[in-house]
Amino acid sequence: MTASTWTTTLGRWTQVAVRRGFLWPTIAVVAVLLLSPLLSTSTELKWTLWLAFGILAMSLTLVWGISGIFSFGQNAFFGVGGYAFAVAAFNIYPATGETLSALLIAACVAALFTALLGYVTFYGRVGDVYLAIVTLAVTLILYTVMSSTAGPEYRIGKAYLGGFNGMPSVPGIAFGTGELGYGGLFAFAVCLAGALYIFARFLLTGRYGEILAGIRENETRMELLGYNVRFHKLGIFVIGGAIAGIGGGLFTAWGTFINPSVFSLQQAALVVIWVMVGGRGSLMGAFVGVAVVQWISDQADKIVAQQTPLILGILLLAMVLAFPGGIVPAISRWFNRARKDGKRKRDAVNAAPTQVPSPETKPENENGGVPLPGGRISTHHVGKRFGGSVALDDVTLEFGQHSIHAVVGPNGAGKSTLFGLISGRHKVTQGRVELNGLDVTRMPTHQRARHGLGVKLQVPSIFLGLSVQQNIALALNAPRKRKQTRPPATTVLAMIGLLEKTHETASNLSHGEQQWLEIGMLIAQNPSVMLFDEPAAGMTQEERKRTVELVQKLSINHTVIVVEHDMAFVRALGAPVVMLYRGNVFRHGNFDELSNDDAVRNIYLGRKRDA
Amino acid sequence: MDEIVVIGLSVLTSIAILLLTSLGLAVVFGLMRIVNMAHGEFLMIGAFTTTVAVRSLELPIWLAILCAPVVCGLVGALVELAFIRPLYGRRLIDTLLATFGLSLILYQVAINIFGTAPPGIGTPSGWIEIGHYTVSYYSLFLPVAALVITALLYVLFKFTRYGLLSRAAAHNPDMASVLGVEVRRVNLVTFALGCALAGLGGGLLSPMVAVSPGVGQTYIGQAFMTVITGGPAFLLGTLSASALLGGISNIVSQLFTTLWGLTALLVTAIVLVRLLPNGISGSWSRQL
Repeated sequence: MTASTWTTTLGRWTQVAVRRGFLWPTIAVVAVLLLSPLLSTSTELKWTLWLAFGILAMSLTLVWGISGIFSFGQNAFFGVGGYAFAVAAFNIYPATGETLSALLIAACVAALFTALLGYVTFYGRVGDVYLAIVTLAVTLILYTVMSSTAGPEYRIGKAYLGGFNGMPSVPGIAFGTGELGYGGLFAFAVCLAGALYIFARFLLTGRYGEILAGIRENETRMELLGYNVRFHKLGIFVIGGAIAGIGGGLFTAWGTFINPSVFSLQQAALVVIWVMVGGRGSLMGAFVGVAVVQWISDQADKIVAQQTPLILGILLLAMVLAFPGGIVPAISRWFNRARKDGKRKRDAVNAAPTQVPSPETKPENENGGVPLPGGRISTHHVGKRFGGSVALDDVTLEFGQHSIHAVVGPNGAGKSTLFGLISGRHKVTQGRVELNGLDVTRMPTHQRARHGLGVKLQVPSIFLGLSVQQNIALALNAPRKRKQTRPPATTVLAMIGLLEKTHETASNLSHGEQQWLEIGMLIAQNPSVMLFDEPAAGMTQEERKRTVELVQKLSINHTVIVVEHDMAFVRALGAPVVMLYRGNVFRHGNFDELSNDDAVRNIYLGRKRDA
Repeated sequence: MDEIVVIGLSVLTSIAILLLTSLGLAVVFGLMRIVNMAHGEFLMIGAFTTTVAVRSLELPIWLAILCAPVVCGLVGALVELAFIRPLYGRRLIDTLLATFGLSLILYQVAINIFGTAPPGIGTPSGWIEIGHYTVSYYSLFLPVAALVITALLYVLFKFTRYGLLSRAAAHNPDMASVLGVEVRRVNLVTFALGCALAGLGGGLLSPMVAVSPGVGQTYIGQAFMTVITGGPAFLLGTLSASALLGGISNIVSQLFTTLWGLTALLVTAIVLVRLLPNGISGSWSRQL
């Protein structure tokens, strides 16, 4: 290999590193290592502890701030890792003279523990609050359990668990040439924290980060797009657990000691406070938060000794009441605003009139990708009971290929239930649902999506905190079963008229635009069957007209089913209509046939019960 | 035979303790969707109120126990006004974190006042003999007290005006306020009631356990598990969950050690949550 290829490879790597944010942490690690000879031993010791805590805080940032899963158990995983390291080190160190394997074991044990807990909670579909409580209860019970392991019978190999007093004289970090000194340990901690930080950045700047953001913003939409939400939540939870476990191992190695106080409420509070102070969404904030809070608590301890819980409590309360978004982000926002204000004043002087983008610049002659085979969905004698009431009695329907179908009916006719049964939100009590000839009756929502079912909900279900482009990207990258071509993002954006708002955050869009964005995600997903729940709800006359046009266009290549209340919209669609009434199919036909049918008119106008 | 009776009584006492320590949490969570992390500290305040009333004021124990819910109810009302009210409409995690902060503050304040291991009060005397065993009257009294309290709460929520209003406010706060329910005031009462119940639990436990500032933390983990396992019917669900979890953990404790009893409680609760994500009462049609 020549020198020039080396330089280009190196150049490409540097580019990737800069783009994904690996460069600054690497520089920081090297800088700290170079400066470390200048540090006093006590500073090195203190900073090593902070790094162990920072790793712990970062694990909570990943799980909570990035993925939206509030876990109180992060310090439990830290403690489990700490104990696992101690037990492993006692057993391994005398034989091999190194404890890196013990650190690896700490990560694995913590990951395993997290996986068990996460499996139960995520796959049990336990609510978010319950997860917080379950993880906290586990932490507290671990505290009690570990405190009562004082007897000599609580021994794992050569390691005694030691009950309330914990495990003293644990071997520190060693590479086979004796335990590291303070300086060595510090250098190791810096490299470890840097490596874990870069690993986390690596996760977040790639596709996985996109998925996590999607889950944080809107789990339902992620499932409708075909993502296995529970699996991904479990995944990040376990990764967070493993990182916390490594932090715990480092903590044990730092003090050559571990006791049950790692499972205390105080410790659980600390982790949350660090992350809140540093800002929930920022990985670096985790380390900053640790440094700030630990510094404050050290200073406070000099003034009033041994009042840590009081100080932590006041800090937590103040954070929640005054700075729910975090102190560091609040300061940086304030700083940015001050800077922007200055800039705006300067800009105002030589401002030019901005050009207003014309609304009719979008190419409308494209359609949503290549025609797909299939596109058939059918129900066979499906019924659904909620408790004693029958929502859907016995419905057999067949929606053929590449056409529009409208499903209408008065309130309580079973429209929403039918919709829920097809999309997978409800489980049928009887009958069978088939998608492209495949029995999907027992299939979870995300699997149906992968087999070619796209769903537009009534209330726009989009990723409010993400940009228009990110919304579309999540749909474009959604997993799928068959080779399904997907249209390029710009085509989709043009079709829904949001080309000019590509980088706008979705929450800033108007209600109508949000509806369009959701339809855009459907187009991007390019499923063979598209299910629309009241697409015209809350739209203006003009928007409604454009929606009709778009739905008609989509029906060229897709099977489109529209569940609708609005008769004018159904008439405009000009599609065959299925009318549901009291949980059964009441009439089948085109709009004019139905509107001239006396029985139908009676039901809608409520004149006579039986016509 | 005697042994079975004694074990049975001990199981009943465990269930009662679990129920007494969980009810307040269940009421606040069930009706307000607030996870009161300071619940354990209200237990602690109740226990200390009783201890102080007996030791310093020399009140009879029964009266001293009744002081506990009064004091805790008042403190609870203040807490609601100062810290919970500003957080209505915010995410659930916020009230959880705020009460968590409060819990730490109350814990440290208790240490500053009472120290880490303050003197306690004795169990009211009197016991019955069953064969070779003796069982104190007090541990027989606890299950009765727990049942009576649950029954009174049931009556309160089922048949009184407050009960109706509080359930309306829990079910649909916007609708309730449109219909003229003062949701704020109802919530204030509910929160204070939950704290008072915690205090009563603490008061009732104080003659049996070593009362220290950390006493609440001993029980709160189990209380959380009980409330989650109980599910949406916050009275009867919590009662069922206490019976199940308290029963299992007590029997396992007697067979092995307390450690295994606790572990059994945790494992049972977690398995139940996996099988019945909405708790024991998740599929019931009743609300209480």
